[in-house]
Amino acid sequence: MSETTVDRVARKTPARVARKVKGLSDRAIAWLFVGPTIFLLLTINIFPLIWTINLSFTNFKANRPNRAVEYIGLRNYERILGDSDIWLSMQATAHFLFWTLFFQVLIGFTLAWLINKKFKGNDLWTTIIVLPMMLSPAVVGNFWTFLYQPQIGLFNYVITFFTGADPSSFQMLGSVDLAPWSIVIVDTWMWTPFVMLICLAGLRSIPDYIYEAAEIDRASKLRQFFTITIPMVLPFLMLAVLFRGIENFKMFDLVVQLTGGGPGSTTEMASINLKREAFEKWRTGYSSAFAIILFVTVFGLASIYVKALNKVKER
Amino acid sequence: MAEVILEQLSKSFGKKHAVIDMSMTIDDGSFVVLLGPTGAGKTTTLRLISGLEKNDKGTISIDGRVVNNETPAQRDVAMVFQQYSLYPHLSVRENLSFPLRSPILKTSKADIVAKVAEVADILQISHKLDNRATELSGGEMQRVSIGRALVRDPAIYLMDEPLSSLDARLRADLRIELKRIHSELGATLLYVTHDQTEAMTMATHVGVLQEGRLVQFGTPREIYEAPASEYVASRLGSPRINLLPAELFNLSDGLTQTIGLRPEHVKFGEGQAASVKRIEHLGDHTRLHLDLNGHAITVLSPSGNPFSAGTSVNIQPLNPLCFDKDGQRIIRDSA
Ligand SMILES: Nc1ncnc2c1ncn2[C@@H]1O[C@H](COP(=O)(O)OP(=O)(O)O)[C@@H](O)[C@H]1O
Ligand SMILES: [Mg+2]
Repeated sequence: MSETTVDRVARKTPARVARKVKGLSDRAIAWLFVGPTIFLLLTINIFPLIWTINLSFTNFKANRPNRAVEYIGLRNYERILGDSDIWLSMQATAHFLFWTLFFQVLIGFTLAWLINKKFKGNDLWTTIIVLPMMLSPAVVGNFWTFLYQPQIGLFNYVITFFTGADPSSFQMLGSVDLAPWSIVIVDTWMWTPFVMLICLAGLRSIPDYIYEAAEIDRASKLRQFFTITIPMVLPFLMLAVLFRGIENFKMFDLVVQLTGGGPGSTTEMASINLKREAFEKWRTGYSSAFAIILFVTVFGLASIYVKALNKVKER
Repeated sequence: MAEVILEQLSKSFGKKHAVIDMSMTIDDGSFVVLLGPTGAGKTTTLRLISGLEKNDKGTISIDGRVVNNETPAQRDVAMVFQQYSLYPHLSVRENLSFPLRSPILKTSKADIVAKVAEVADILQISHKLDNRATELSGGEMQRVSIGRALVRDPAIYLMDEPLSSLDARLRADLRIELKRIHSELGATLLYVTHDQTEAMTMATHVGVLQEGRLVQFGTPREIYEAPASEYVASRLGSPRINLLPAELFNLSDGLTQTIGLRPEHVKFGEGQAASVKRIEHLGDHTRLHLDLNGHAITVLSPSGNPFSAGTSVNIQPLNPLCFDKDGQRIIRDSA
């Protein structure tokens, strides 16, 4: 019989080590492999979470580590739920979340649907469309601030070109009304390709023969779209929404680059607000409580959503 | 129901000629079976008639109307696909009612329910109506896809090897059922198979395909008794026809190269001596596997079966079919 890789490795193992390993049961070896992962998870995920929960019941301030820490019960939570700033930031997050998902699903699906038609060069188009997704958010944020520049920016120029409005008559990033939308536009520009790719995978998974059967069954193109295409792409689409939803709930980098939460606090989303409370105002206990509230919210929403997703997939 | 006429129909895929110059008349109310091995162009023929594939040359008419440029929906054909093409995200019930829910038909809800129940009953899948299409066995999927055609009342039913994945008993049941549907509804069927039992038992007409060409078209009797070539002769009949060199029985007449001997076309007790290799008892009849100068011959044993393996028996051809060197049958005026 020829020597296998396992045999070779076994032979090369130093006698001292081999003797030690020989005494281990399968279970022990399994723990040996899984152990480091569990250790890392505990130290960088679970422990901080528990520590944060602990801090959320205190008045601890990280910039005054020597001050005596008092346990103040649910006071932090009560104050957060009554804090109008927090509610405004939650509203900003909700606005951002809703509209980015709306546009990305709409445009992403439409693009995927068009690309999925068999035409020459659709692979090239896919590559071109996917480019924004490959850029770093910091870079994207940076060059969009240039694009949004009222006098020399391309964005205002294009709007002017189509509407005739004076380019310096509006400031995407500087205006209270437009700033939230400017972030929605950039995020949509950057991440629609992601939704498109997942939708494309969904569309490609529908075999041609199903459409042929529908054609024979005399279903119109419209009926085929609603009874075959949509239901069969839905699980994929929902997955894309889940990924984008979780990502955008904690949106931070683009906003910091583009508006820094302003003007005023119009684009101060929950994550930005949290960072301010924690690392500018140093209200560690208070911001811990806020973080826990955000965590529970995302976790709750995502769980409900995953349940719905599984139900759709089961159909 | 309608008459379907194919005239000089051709279709190529690149260099591959899938269907060549095919002309055929499928009479209103007939049950035509297309017979041919894999790759003969059976599926392509059905796809051309249904409109899923466009023909390169020739015309297709349904009910006196040339349909070359019509969509499948306009042609009003029902088709059972070779691979089960069910809607995977729908239940069996939804799959079956899908064609009936077409807005063109304006079928009432009650009618749809009744029709689906009726067809499910015929196909013995009533207990699976609420399953998802993907939760079925291969045979059940195939029945649902037959059902999706049967709920309709189309110009023609096109069926692509619909019984091939079913077990023997169900296949026999459904053969009878399809035959019944055909005679009761007066439906027109074009049915593709490579199973000659299906062809013999159900067809009013059989078309034999060879590499994209229709080489013979006629009633099952005609095809069986008067095949145009060796190829056609070996498509029908079980066990297969014995093809033997003409010299074996000293029958060469200068033209005949090969003789075709159906298992029942032998006379015992005279002619050449052959040794009995094996005996197959099949209940109602018995087969003998013989060896004659190195040529294997399968024949039907006379009743009573007086033979045993290892013995010798004399056989003589009885009305053999004669084929020339190209495999074409030589037709003589006097039988
Ligand atoms: N879409 C296609 N593209 C290329 N070749 C095809 C296509 N469909 C069928 N063919 C070829 O045409 C021939 C006939 O195929 P088909 O009609 O499927 O045969 P059958 O159903 O009798 O097995 C085969 O050689 C097959 O490879
Ligand atoms: Mg086929």
